[in-house]
Amino acid sequence: MNRTGGLPTNPLRDPADRRLPRVPAPCALVIFGVSGDLAHKKLLPAVYDLASRGLLPPGFVVLGFARRDWTDADFEAAARDAIQEHARTPWQEEVWARLAGNLKFVPGSFDDDDAFDRLSQTLDDLRESHGILGNAAFYLSVPPTQFPVVLKQMERTGMADNEASGGWRRVVVEKPFGHDVQSSRELNELVDHVFTPEDVFRIDHYLGKETVQNLLALRFANTLFDPVWNSNYVDSVQITMAEDVGIGSRAAFYDATGAARDVLQNHLLQLLALTAMEEPVSFSADAIRAEKLKILTAVGIPEGDQRDLYAVRGQYEQGWLAGQRAKGYLEEEGVPPDSTTETYVAVRLLVQTRRWGGVPFYVRTGKRLPRRVTEIAVVFKKAPHLPFAETDTESLGNNQLVIRVQPDEGITLKFGSKVPGSAMEVRDVAMDFLYGAAFTESSPEAYERLVLDVMLGDSTLFPHAEEVDASWRIIDPLEEYWAGHKPHKYRAGEWGPKAADDMVAVDGRHWRRP
Amino acid sequence: MTTLWDTTGTEVVKALGEARRGAGMVSGLALTLVVVADEKKVAEAEVAATKAAAAHPCRVLIVVRRQIDAPQPRLDAEISIGGRLGPGEAVVMRMYGRLALHAESVTLPLLAPDVPVVTWWHGEAPERIAYDPLGVFADRRVTDAAQAADPIAALQIRAADYVPGDTDLAWTRATPWRALLAGAFDTLGTHRVVSARIAAAPKNPSAYLLGGWLRARLGISAEQTDSAGPGITEVYLKLEDDTELSISRHDGFSALMHRTGVQDRRLPLQRRDVGEPLAEELRRLDPDEPYAAALSAATGLVLDQRPRARVHVWRDAVPAAG
Repeated sequence: MNRTGGLPTNPLRDPADRRLPRVPAPCALVIFGVSGDLAHKKLLPAVYDLASRGLLPPGFVVLGFARRDWTDADFEAAARDAIQEHARTPWQEEVWARLAGNLKFVPGSFDDDDAFDRLSQTLDDLRESHGILGNAAFYLSVPPTQFPVVLKQMERTGMADNEASGGWRRVVVEKPFGHDVQSSRELNELVDHVFTPEDVFRIDHYLGKETVQNLLALRFANTLFDPVWNSNYVDSVQITMAEDVGIGSRAAFYDATGAARDVLQNHLLQLLALTAMEEPVSFSADAIRAEKLKILTAVGIPEGDQRDLYAVRGQYEQGWLAGQRAKGYLEEEGVPPDSTTETYVAVRLLVQTRRWGGVPFYVRTGKRLPRRVTEIAVVFKKAPHLPFAETDTESLGNNQLVIRVQPDEGITLKFGSKVPGSAMEVRDVAMDFLYGAAFTESSPEAYERLVLDVMLGDSTLFPHAEEVDASWRIIDPLEEYWAGHKPHKYRAGEWGPKAADDMVAVDGRHWRRP
Repeated sequence: MTTLWDTTGTEVVKALGEARRGAGMVSGLALTLVVVADEKKVAEAEVAATKAAAAHPCRVLIVVRRQIDAPQPRLDAEISIGGRLGPGEAVVMRMYGRLALHAESVTLPLLAPDVPVVTWWHGEAPERIAYDPLGVFADRRVTDAAQAADPIAALQIRAADYVPGDTDLAWTRATPWRALLAGAFDTLGTHRVVSARIAAAPKNPSAYLLGGWLRARLGISAEQTDSAGPGITEVYLKLEDDTELSISRHDGFSALMHRTGVQDRRLPLQRRDVGEPLAEELRRLDPDEPYAAALSAATGLVLDQRPRARVHVWRDAVPAAG
């Protein structure tokens, strides 16, 4: 099968012509669970934003599937609301006119064979009426428990078959990709069996963020950083993803999952892999994946007695956050009062390669922390010798390079500088590069980029099954250890439990306050 | 915002430095954008530059040449950071008398250190860019044939004067049309195009460049016809298997794509104000080879093997701005 969707070379496209956008081949975007939150807040607005930037192919249809008693017109009205509320680009009737009439809806539940037959039939009809050439991307915006039934329905109806459809058929899966090695393997086997492995796109929306991609540019397009990007110069790395919100209405899902499976397994380990990986031989999906995979398989977790110290879980208690009283986790609606699910996790990981030997990677994530922030801080070693008097450099800390993923996307460099005045005194100053602020308004949302990449068939920014598998192999032993322990308590509105502070303190370090 | 009346270049440099320190926030600058506009168009240029600056962190220097025959040279300047001229740094300078002919003496020290310079003439560009020192030190030069009294003649001038690194906003305005055409061609198969027609408002330079592009890429010469506009209104192509493809737009907002055997489709194709094409120009700062190919095909002039840099040519004439 032709990977570009059966297209011959186009005489109007010239590699030197960088103004012409990459536009996908005509296709349908089929969204399962289109009445859900993700479709409402992210997917439909992303489709509109793509339309408004002129990045959709002439033949393009959004086909919604959900258990709702909707007609095409109802779906269109719902989509219109979602877009007006959440789209990044301003509302324009002309752009909407391009989408309207190309929004179709098929009602049904996932165990309803008839509904899937209708869906399959609708796709076939659209091929003629809307010129989509048999290309379709299926977006599974459904709870993970429903994955198998939806996938089996697609297999039964032949919708997932590239050959039968005469175009490409791709599937997009949202996290969580299973809940341990075993379940993720089963899921992978199923989805790889129904589709072909290269047609499976696992969304980790962090990888769609401009700053994360910029990390690769920073590391591999410059000469300045690579020479010090190793254990000779780096003292430690801290990766933080903090949220100020609680669990909201996701109690059932969250209580069964916890912070380690929800965030550490995917976002944080992906950020760690991108930070630590060697230079890929090219900027292709395969080459980047190969390097990330090496890191993920080289990650060392705390073992034996060390686990008490270096693998810390926490659970928030009631407290005050941003001037408001916040409930404790156990008081949240839907959470069992004796739950031992963690809302915070901090782990000391090692990357067992020559480049990173002996450099601890402290990773942490939590809910109800003082503010929402995600950052990667590379902390450098102190100078081996300081020619100044000891008192002159008392307030000099470690040099740091901080990649701020969100908010205030950008880079901070922290280094020592002389305090103006007649005495020689050195203290830390921070130099900010604001990738964000006023300048990112025009940069695309993560979902916009990722949906486009799926339609283009570019899997560079999507974790592969092997990476997911390697990540679970890091998480599973930790979960096993935690299963017999209660999480530490921390107050909502503080930076995690004291045990997490102790964890870095025994190494003679401290957490950076993001 | 700081306003300086009857000042000197040194004072402007000082004031900009102070404003930067006062703003506290010094972001990374990717380039300096020099805008040359006359008084009548300066408001329009400011809006466009502000929009472009929102997408590309840059320092905007707007040069307004006034009353070149004034007996006394004089400089007025307005400096703003994060103010009415967008999130970045901006300086608007009005130059009177002989100073207007030596605008580079004020502008050069204001360029952000060691980042590319883009000069944009919002108005009729000089006949030879080498006459304007503001164009000579720029890495990219952006003209706008549509601003000229005779836009088609202006394209001829641009082709005669072309040096790699020049582009014209008339070309940028054709991008959405080109994107739609290229998108349509993705699924057209390998049949040869046998005839082509472009309809546009009379003397529309974008239509000529679009025709040049089709000639360069497809080897066919498109017939140019006049229409009521606005801008380009239709592109029609016929393939050797008799497939017809047309994209037409009459309201300036949305286009109708017609193709033999396929249902007609309505696609957004909005005319853009000056800011968006300008922002598109600032995205890439290397020479635009497809533009050269299209300009060459549209004008019949050979553009390769031009020198890569210009040398300033002194000409003591009163430029168009006055």
